[in-house]
Amino acid sequence: MSTVISVEGLGIEFYRARRRRMSVREMVFHGRNSAPKETFWALKDISFDIRAGEAVGLVGGNGSGKSTLLKMIAGVLLPDEGSVTVTDGVAPLIELTGGFVGELSARDNIYLTAGLHGLRNSQIDERFDDIVDFAGPQVRAGLDTPFRHYSSGMKARLAFAVITTLDEPIILVDEVLAVGDKVFREKCYLRMESLLEQGRTLFLVSHSEGDLKRFSTRGLYLRSGRLAADGPMADVLEQYTAHLAEDSK
Amino acid sequence: MRLITRTQAVMAKRNVLWTLVIRDLRVRYSRSVLGYVWTILDPLLMSLIYFVVFVYIFKKTALGHDPYFLFLVAGLLPWQWFSGAITETSRALLQEAKLVRSTNLPREIWVARVVVAKGIEYLWSLPVLIFFALFYVIKGQTHLNGWLALLPLGIVVQFLFLIGLGLILAPVTTLVTDMQRVIKILLRMLFYITPVIYAGKLVPKPWDKLTWLNPMTGVLEMMRAGFFKHDRIPIQWGAIGVGLVVTMVTLFVGFAVFGRLERAVLKEI
Repeated sequence: MSTVISVEGLGIEFYRARRRRMSVREMVFHGRNSAPKETFWALKDISFDIRAGEAVGLVGGNGSGKSTLLKMIAGVLLPDEGSVTVTDGVAPLIELTGGFVGELSARDNIYLTAGLHGLRNSQIDERFDDIVDFAGPQVRAGLDTPFRHYSSGMKARLAFAVITTLDEPIILVDEVLAVGDKVFREKCYLRMESLLEQGRTLFLVSHSEGDLKRFSTRGLYLRSGRLAADGPMADVLEQYTAHLAEDSK
Repeated sequence: MRLITRTQAVMAKRNVLWTLVIRDLRVRYSRSVLGYVWTILDPLLMSLIYFVVFVYIFKKTALGHDPYFLFLVAGLLPWQWFSGAITETSRALLQEAKLVRSTNLPREIWVARVVVAKGIEYLWSLPVLIFFALFYVIKGQTHLNGWLALLPLGIVVQFLFLIGLGLILAPVTTLVTDMQRVIKILLRMLFYITPVIYAGKLVPKPWDKLTWLNPMTGVLEMMRAGFFKHDRIPIQWGAIGVGLVVTMVTLFVGFAVFGRLERAVLKEI
């Protein structure tokens, strides 16, 4: 199988103070910028290859750089060191409702978001019913109400439905399987499984051991910005749990 | 060449650009039935105010081409596009932070979409200009001439200049907190040092050459050329030429600055 994601010597550096923002007032009156300059490497020396059709789970504690890595694969963050090469289209399930506009109806929003991810109107017409069916009867009933009147669960369901109907061969998932109620979650799981069966590549970030074991065969373990393990999911999880137990002592 | 490769990248996603532009316009006009009226009301009222202040109160007559009201409308409509686009491109990345963070598009698209959307609003406002032009032609106070052909060129140059400026402003505003206030003040100053409500020819020498450095001076010359007689105030070709050069430089600098700051901006939003 061919390599679809290739990560080499990847590193990204952040400012320790979240806001590095400068201000004109300060520069004019003090002649300098007082924002702290201290930096840290959120990720360093990360290298791995993912082949088409693989299901990879990414584990690690809070702040270990999981989401940052996912964002770099999605192309919405750029590395300071090394490179990320992604040779196929990506459907990112990150910031799910990001593309939706509260002012517009759900119907318009479906067309907009799917359009943003590169679907043509004719393709959306074909899939429209699928999307709405998946999102559930409440969404269908409220198709023409402004999106901002939706409950947060309904918003997430609609967004999940839209993104997972994209044709992109690589799917990036960041903790979004937890959306919606139990019934909907089961539907999400089935959808994910059918996507995997179609031979798509999955890259999953999760804290849920169940989700990780269910969907991914290969595990990557990030520990304070370094790649600590890369191997079968069960082994990686074991190592991760052992480290967690050690750290909490 | 960054300018070319990035333009190609944006053009490859032009259906997405189009989607975004339509979304902008739809959001804007779904909020109020009066949407279109608001777009043209502002420049029309401002034209009326300047007309009353200068012609009736200050009793000035030779501020620009005659008829002065048509001169004002022809200048304030593109100025509205200019100031609207500058204000919005400067927060283009911040306002759409969620989208920028979740979609892998050529980031220049966020600037382009604002300039295009505002440009379409300008094109929609052109019937107003045509209405007043015909009104004064029928009254016999002016006649159209062949330089009308410069109007589309003016639109193209203004578009390119706005893209260049927007590419500089969008990342800088993300990194510098109070930039938006600064831009607001600069924009107001720029309005008075650009020949919008007066003809560039009236600026005392040698300062008139200084206004040429502002591409909007040349743009307005081109946009107005076809509507007036040029016996008293000839077309200032110098302003048009210098404006073209400055526009191209701005465009190059814009793409370079955007490329340099992109990394930092993505971490920030």
